[in-house]
Amino acid sequence: MPDEEVLEEGVLNPVKPEIQDPLLQAILEENGTPATAPTGEEQPNPLPNPTDIVDCVVIGTGAGGAPLLARLAMAGLKVVALEAGPRHDARKDYATDEKAQAFLFWNDERLSAGQNPVAFGRNNSGTGVGGSTLHYTAYTPRAHRGDLKLHTEFGQGVDWPFGIEELEPYYEELEHFMGISGPTPYPWDPSRRKGYPLAPLPLNGAALLMQKACAQLGIQTSPAANAALSARYYQEGIGWREACTNRGFCQAGCNVGAKASMDVTFLPLAEAHGAEIRADAFVTEIERDAQGRITGVVYEQYGQTVRQRCKNLFLCAGAVETPRLLLLNELALTSGQVGKHFMAHPGVQVWGTFPEDIRPYKGIPGGLISEDTHRPKDADFAGGYLLQSIGVMPVTFASQMARGRKLWGPALRDYMRSYNHIAGINILGDCLPHASNFLELSDEKDARGLPKPRLHFTAQENEQRMNRHAEKLMRRIWEAAGATDIWAFERYAHVIGTARMGKSGDDAVVNPDGRAFDVPNLYICDNSVFPSALSVNPALTIMALSLRTADKFLASLR
Amino acid sequence: MVTPATRAALQARLDAPAREPQFFEPETYALLQAVAARLIPQSDRAQPIDIVGGIDERLTEGKADGWRYDAMPPDREAYRLGLGGINQAAEALFQQPFVGLPEAQQDAVLEAVAAGTAPGANWQQLPIARFFEEMLAELTENYYAHPLAQEEIGYVGMADVPGWPHIQPGQLEAREPEEVK
Repeated sequence: MPDEEVLEEGVLNPVKPEIQDPLLQAILEENGTPATAPTGEEQPNPLPNPTDIVDCVVIGTGAGGAPLLARLAMAGLKVVALEAGPRHDARKDYATDEKAQAFLFWNDERLSAGQNPVAFGRNNSGTGVGGSTLHYTAYTPRAHRGDLKLHTEFGQGVDWPFGIEELEPYYEELEHFMGISGPTPYPWDPSRRKGYPLAPLPLNGAALLMQKACAQLGIQTSPAANAALSARYYQEGIGWREACTNRGFCQAGCNVGAKASMDVTFLPLAEAHGAEIRADAFVTEIERDAQGRITGVVYEQYGQTVRQRCKNLFLCAGAVETPRLLLLNELALTSGQVGKHFMAHPGVQVWGTFPEDIRPYKGIPGGLISEDTHRPKDADFAGGYLLQSIGVMPVTFASQMARGRKLWGPALRDYMRSYNHIAGINILGDCLPHASNFLELSDEKDARGLPKPRLHFTAQENEQRMNRHAEKLMRRIWEAAGATDIWAFERYAHVIGTARMGKSGDDAVVNPDGRAFDVPNLYICDNSVFPSALSVNPALTIMALSLRTADKFLASLR
Repeated sequence: MVTPATRAALQARLDAPAREPQFFEPETYALLQAVAARLIPQSDRAQPIDIVGGIDERLTEGKADGWRYDAMPPDREAYRLGLGGINQAAEALFQQPFVGLPEAQQDAVLEAVAAGTAPGANWQQLPIARFFEEMLAELTENYYAHPLAQEEIGYVGMADVPGWPHIQPGQLEAREPEEVK
């Protein structure tokens, strides 16, 4: 390990935060007051007793960190979760207002490079106790058997180091624990051992229009699996959660508790079993001993620098912050794969204007699904995609429309006046890993003095072919549904890859159990370990991996 | 109808006082206001919604929305360069600064910026199409975040306390306005 600065005996510390931009320095001096501790709560101990060594520290409380936090706490381990963002009471604090909810997103600047620069912020990032699940759409399809065997099936992409049978028990457990609403039997996987615990949520305007048009075209559809409650549900560790009120605001935070975000499911369960969750705790350093074993982490909280020692570290910060922390700390880098093979799901949207009064703000946004396109017969690409109806909030829609259509002047306001008559469909497609798509640390520093991440993404031939196939099909569907003024918006969702899982430390960062090849007491669990992107939304699979990683770790202790 | 948190957010936006620019020089601010008035014209409103104050506030505070095109300079510099470029284009095409031009010529300048064909030395340092996209998106977001603009498009999603039991096309709750056109 080159160039480390030894700050303390036995502690290697390569991080040298500094702020170079004089403008930024000035801003920091003006607005430099750090987040203050929530009133009425105890101030954290600024310098924890160095003899306080917990069994596990978990960085991040989203879909990757929360399930394993609960699992480890329930096994009787002493666990501490460090969450960069704040803790909110959704019922009290959340406004039904997109701008006011901007605190849900990771708003530190990331640099988007490549031919198809990926939008971050509200597109695919999150912060706060609950992570990105605070604003996920709750769309929770399972991955398919073939998604994990892309290379076997197509000779392209990579296979996961295990098959779907490793995830299935966890999918079942999650669907029942969180109360997922969905169709039983599932049309594209009718032989499942267990059905969904709740009936599907009702279909909104976009879903019904898509359902009718697909029926005309011979495309099978179904109400989708959504992690939002179609009926009251008893949540272990928290009590009754109320049913969804069709508020349509999932992507800017649920204030009902109906959506199974981590703050109303795994995190209260973890706390009920003794886990400690520290909010507003931004980890900067991961400390190691001379043998390379992690000894603890250092984080910033309310203007103080705090150290927490640990026997094991679970890094669950998402596919940008996880590799960023690894690169900053020069940790687990021998495979050369940290930051590499960044993938983003093709998510082309097609919008149309209908005579019907649709009210796109009502109902679960992703009401209807078709997976007939999982392996389309006429495909000229590897992998496949799912089709989904979409509701949309007005500011998000207006912003995308401005970027996509570049309407301005009276044309912009005229078009937006038809908001209540607009409905959309989109895809969620697999993305092949490619060497030219990667994350690196830039020279530009953020307000903390840390290098901003730069992410390069260019849709390759396979993604471009999939986009064309999907756009053509969605235009047909929307024409059949009676839409006019149809337009497509090319976009890429979900940040995936950058710390891939594999069988060998030569070409992977973590082994099939989620443990880093280089560091015996480091586990990584979030979308960064996905070897391939899958043709479905990632949240449910991240949670399944999280439970599996915890079980593998616990088994290793025995 | 609305939760206290929702009411607080919307009321604050409704009651926001006119902003004295802190980041922009007064002249540049007037230029941005003139550009905004063509991109999102509000001649039908006695009191136009302030959609540029939010930009000045954001740049003053140094806030971001989580990402930036790598090809673009930092936001503050991008706005300075871009607005300067718009004035350069106005001078090159019509021999006057943008704010002094009649509306039709202002639109012609903005069309050239939108099309990526506007003259001006600043565009050598700033990707013109990305600048136009970013500025238009931010102005559009600021406009449609305002309660009066949301009323204009018939959006009443903020009134969600009773829930929305009727969500099929054409099914309205009593509190949903019928048509906005």
